[in-house]
This record gives sequence, C-alpha cells and structure tokens, in this order.
Amino acid sequence: MTQSAAAPPPPAVQPATAPAQPGPAKVRRGFWPAPTGKPVGTGIEDTPSLLNRLQIIGMATVLLFGLLSGLVQYLSYAADGRAADDTEQLVRVQEIQSTLLRVDAIATSLVLIGGEGDREREAQYDEAVDRVFQLIAAAAEAQPADEKALAALNVEVNEYATAIAEARSNIRQTFPVGAEYLSGASKALRDDALPILRNLVDANTERAEDSMGGQHPFWLLLIGVVATAVLVWLSIALARRFRRYLNTGVAVAAIIVIVTTLVASIAAWRADNQNDGLLENELRMAVDQAAARTAGNDAKANESLRLIKRGSGALYEDPWIAAADVVEDRGDRQVLDEWNAYVAAHQEIVRLDDEDRWGLAVQIAIGADGAPGGLDSTAAFDTFDESVAELVQENGTATTDELRAGRSLALVGSLLTLILGMAAAVAVVRGINDRRKEYA
Amino acid sequence: MNRVRAALAGVGVLAALLAGCGYDDTPLPEAPEAESPAQAADPECTTVDADLASYEPSDVVVPGGKVEEIRDRGRLIVGVSADTYKMASANPENGNRIEGFDIEFAKAIGRAIFEDTSGGFELGRNVQFRVITAAQRIELLQNGEIDLVVRNFTINCSRWQDIAFSQVYYDATQKVLVSKSLAESGYDGVQDLAGLRVCAPTGSTSLDNVVTAAEREGVDPPILEPAANHTGCLIKFQRGEVDAITGDDTVLAGLAAQDPYAVVPDQEPLNDEPYGIGANQDDVDLVRFVNAVLEEMRADGSWQAAYNRWLKQELSGVDAIQPPPTQPYRTG
Repeated sequence: MTQSAAAPPPPAVQPATAPAQPGPAKVRRGFWPAPTGKPVGTGIEDTPSLLNRLQIIGMATVLLFGLLSGLVQYLSYAADGRAADDTEQLVRVQEIQSTLLRVDAIATSLVLIGGEGDREREAQYDEAVDRVFQLIAAAAEAQPADEKALAALNVEVNEYATAIAEARSNIRQTFPVGAEYLSGASKALRDDALPILRNLVDANTERAEDSMGGQHPFWLLLIGVVATAVLVWLSIALARRFRRYLNTGVAVAAIIVIVTTLVASIAAWRADNQNDGLLENELRMAVDQAAARTAGNDAKANESLRLIKRGSGALYEDPWIAAADVVEDRGDRQVLDEWNAYVAAHQEIVRLDDEDRWGLAVQIAIGADGAPGGLDSTAAFDTFDESVAELVQENGTATTDELRAGRSLALVGSLLTLILGMAAAVAVVRGINDRRKEYA
Repeated sequence: MNRVRAALAGVGVLAALLAGCGYDDTPLPEAPEAESPAQAADPECTTVDADLASYEPSDVVVPGGKVEEIRDRGRLIVGVSADTYKMASANPENGNRIEGFDIEFAKAIGRAIFEDTSGGFELGRNVQFRVITAAQRIELLQNGEIDLVVRNFTINCSRWQDIAFSQVYYDATQKVLVSKSLAESGYDGVQDLAGLRVCAPTGSTSLDNVVTAAEREGVDPPILEPAANHTGCLIKFQRGEVDAITGDDTVLAGLAAQDPYAVVPDQEPLNDEPYGIGANQDDVDLVRFVNAVLEEMRADGSWQAAYNRWLKQELSGVDAIQPPPTQPYRTG
C-alpha cells in the first residue's frame, strides 16, 4: 500500500522532548506533522514500540467492532426467530382456547338437538376435539416452557371429553343425568381448563412482545461510533509521529466501520419499525380476533345451556352478555355484521324463552325447519366463527411470515460484519506496516 | 482455520448466552379454596300433623275467584321441574314434552278446570308448564306469576306462613339409594352405611337426617359427600366417588331408573316428606278445587294408575296408596 496524498505543509512540530535546535528560539507546537513520512519526534516511547501498540489497538478495535456489531445483529436475527416462534405459539394456544370453547358450543347444541342427534354436528364435535389434542401436542413440542401447563390442560380436556361422552350416552337414553354431566363438564371447563389457557396466552403474549423488541439500532450505532472514535484517535497519533496526516489503511478501516455501522443501524431501525408495525397491526389483530372467537363460542355455549337447563335460563344469560361484550369490544368490523346477525337470533331465543315458549326458542337455537322467522342461531353463529377464524389465521400467518422473511438479512449482515471487521483489521495492519517501512 | 472455527463457536456460545437459553415455565393457576358445604337452615317452627291439613275439597267455581280467573285466561300456569326423572322431566323421544308423576296431577287439574268450558280441554292449549327451580317455588307463587306448583314440594309449617298447600298427594319419605351389589349383600338400613360415603344436595336436611338416624341406631355415621343436586350425586355415584345417595324416594326412584346398578331397596324411611301442591295464600278457592280433583283421582283410580306407571317399579315394587286428607280441614 502506498501513502495517500500529503496534507498541506503544516508548521513543523517540535516534540517536547527534542533537543534544543539552533535558529529562531520560538517553537510553535502544532497539530500537523511534517510531510516527510519520517517520525518527527522520538517521544518517550520508541517508534517501533509505538507502532506495535497502535497496531494492536487498531486491530483489537476493528475486530471487536466486527464481533460486537455482528453479535448484536445475530441477536436481532435470533430475536426475530424467537418472535416468530413465540407468535406462532401464541396463535396456537389461542386456537386451543377458541377450539375448546367451540367444542363446548357444539356439545351443548348436540344435547339440545337430543334424540338420535345430528351426524354432521357430531362429526364437527369429534373433529374439533381431535384438533384440540393435536394443538396441545404441537404446542408442547414447540415451547418447553409451556409443557407443564399443557400437560395439566391435557388432563382437563380429557376429563371434559369423557364427561361429554357420558352426557351424550345418557341423553341418547333420554336420561336427565346427561344434562347434568354436560353442565358439569362445561363448568369444569371454565373453572379448571380456561385459567390454564389464560396463563398460556398471557405468558406467550409477553414472550412474543419481548422478542419482537429484540432489534438494537442504538447499540449498533454506539459500537460503530466508539470504533470510529478510536480509529480517529489512532490516525491522530500516527499523524503526530509521522509527517503524513492520513494513513490509508486506518482510513479504509474507518470507512468500513462507518459504512457497516450506517447500513446495520438503518437495517435494524427498519426491522424495529417493522416489528412495531406487526405488533400493533397483524399480531394485535390476530390476538383480538382469537379473543373474540373464544368469547363468541363461550356465548353460544351459554345460549344452549340456558335452554338445556330449562327454567334456569337467567343463570346463563349474564355470562352470555359478558362474552358478547368481549366480542363487540375486540371483534373486527369485518366480523361484527355476522356477529350481529347471530345476536338477533339469540335475542329472539331469549324473548321466546322468557315467554316460556321454550320449544320455539329451541327451534331457533338448533336451526330446525320451520323455526320462527326462519331464524337459525347455529348457522348465523357458524358464519361468524368461520370468518373470525379466517382473520386469526390470516393475521397470525402474516406476522410469522414477516418476522421470518426479514431475519435472514440480519444473519447475512452479522456474518458480513464479522468478515468486514477482519478486513478492517487487515487494513489497519497494512497501514501501520507502511509506517513501519517508512521508519525502517 | 481452527482458530476461526473456535472464534465462531465462541461467538455462538456468547450469543446463546446473551439471547437467553429459555423462558420461565408458564405458571399453573392456583387451586381455588374448597368451599365449606352450606348447612341446612334451622326450621323456624316444628311441623305437626295439623300442618298437613288443607282446605275442604270443593269443585264449585267461585265467582270472581282464582279458578274463574284461570278459565277466563284460558290457561293454567303450573310451575314444574324438568329434570326430576319419573316425577317431571323432558322426554326427548316425545318432542321434549315434560312427563312424570307430578305432571299427571297438573293435567288432571287442568282437565277439571277446562273440560266444562265451550272449547273443552286441550293440554297444549290449556296448561302451560313453567319450568322453575326449587328456589323459585315460593317467590313465583307469591308474586302471582304462576297459579300452582307441582314440584316435589314438601308441606311444612314454615312454608304455610308464605303460601297455601293442597292436601297431601304423596307421602314421600327419605330413603337411601345404594349399589345393586350392596343391596344384594343384604342392605338393611342406615347401620349398613357406617364408613361408607353418602351423597345429598349441599345444604339439604337429608344429610342431617341420615346422621341423626345413625346416632339413633347407635352406629357410626356415614361419611357425608354433598353435591350441588341429586343428579350431581348420581354422577358421583357412577364415578365411584360415593357409595350411596339419600333423598326423597321419588327422586331416588328417578335416579335408579337412570342407572341399572343403582337400586332403592325396601327399607325403613329416615324421614317423612309429605308432598302438596302449592298455591298463593289468597287462592283458597283454587286450593279447594285442587283438593276436589285429588279426591276425584282417588275415586276413579287415576292416582293409583299414575303411581304404578311412574314410581312403583323404581321403588322396588312397593305398593302405595293415596294419603287420606288430614282432618280437621283448615278454615278460611
């Protein structure tokens, strides 16, 4: 490597320790060295030692820069991966919650249908139960921290499914104890299984939010600024000792550091903004719609229970109202029209039941032929459930896809930074070697 | 090259440490504290035979009275249960119509009120069954929302302070339901329940009665395991969580009918539970009319037919007769 252009000739620097020179006695201490390439003073440290020391400092600085900056980027890559996994787990446990309440809504409506039952509805029940068990197994595999809670949930769901099987068997024989099995199972589901699911949702929401805040543009910038400052100091130290104020190797290293820092910081800042956007939009939407779906199914199950526990309807109306409030509060506009169609059917059920026209209320609840006003509460609810489930799926997938798509850049960036750090170290070595040759 | 690999591995380890190796376990919810079972309320008065007396039967429709009001309305509104098998429960095989021993009385009263009217009697049109809980019985009679309650309603002195009753239409008794195997091994009464687990609804007097009976016999009392209601007790029984259920024989008959391994063996009753039909205190004419219907059912054998159809088989084939009215009648 050759030396770069010399700086305009500054006044010669007189080292403090230099012997007295003949001529004008007035010596001006200045910044710029004489453009000779020769050391302008000996200082307290001899030049080769100084060069060795500066070389070690320069190399260590840029290598450390490459390592730390690469590490921060790798952490961002890892955080985005974790965020994608955590988001997927959050959506998964919310699906368990929604599907479990869906199972209860179907089970209660099956009891209301009674008699020989409804094959299609029974198939939907079996399918939903299978789905719950599949999701529990998948969730336990995906997040070891959830294993204990999911194992406890598995026990509760098993007990629920057993009680429902007993309820169906008894109801098929027209025994009233079937309804007691059912209402007991529904109560146990809400008292024992849902609190576990609420803990799972809370824990995974916190994990997903924390992981999505794993971008650190400030730290990247800080590391770059510190490394640049050290290289500037190094250049000044070299310039003070030699008659050239710019060392090309050190300058190249500084440019590598600055450019890498700028690119990495901007990329991290953009990723941070993107994560904030995902958190506030797609993920929030997925979480809210899953909560709305859970509450909607809770309401539908309570509607059936009020009719099954004929004469005790009021006991189940308050939970219905509480669940409906959640749907209206968190449900997206896209699904509220469908929800309102179901609410209209439910209000007619309540009116008829309150007037003790229970049979007509049941006809609406199960969508029997010839139900009053052609109303079908189950069909209206199923339309809502399908739409809201689609929204959850769509937004959950969009969140995880976005997180995974962006993270590969961070990995490439972290490796590149590490390599560039090494390249900068080589540049520093060559730059200092040039001075060493000049000195020799 | 090895140094580079070692450096990269070091970076990996460092990154893993900084990133955190895992999360804390998701916490499990704390177990809720078990509720202590509610105790049965102490009675405000002691029921004596005179409390079982009702008003003298009369099928005269008093002008401006309750029976006339019901005729004018065209509907008799009766509060019933819908989940007490054999007494009053919805039958899914019959369009969820409510059927049972209690329902036979509601039908007979409806028929007696409307059969002489121009349109004649039609069950679906002239009798409205309103399914109510046990706790609603007195309140709904008092506020006039329903005309009668036929819902395994035990007559006692404190209830007479709030409402009126017909004469006793069934002498229910508190008995014990056990498993078929226990019955076959020679179940002979409360002395055979020592150390066994017995279920009854929380807060009911049935649990106290079984303990009192054990003390009277000088044997160890059974272990009490309350449930929310009798059907809840049947679930505990089927799951092997209790060995016996105690309650009114009518209710136990319904439970036994739902489980081939549960029986109500012939036994000495633990307590008497005389059932009456409830009415508003002011509707004395309606109570007299109901009593007249009950006497009509005695005379034409429809009471016996109802018993034989709904209860006899489940009560080990024990014969029963309609209780005679307690006399002297009440005045009012």
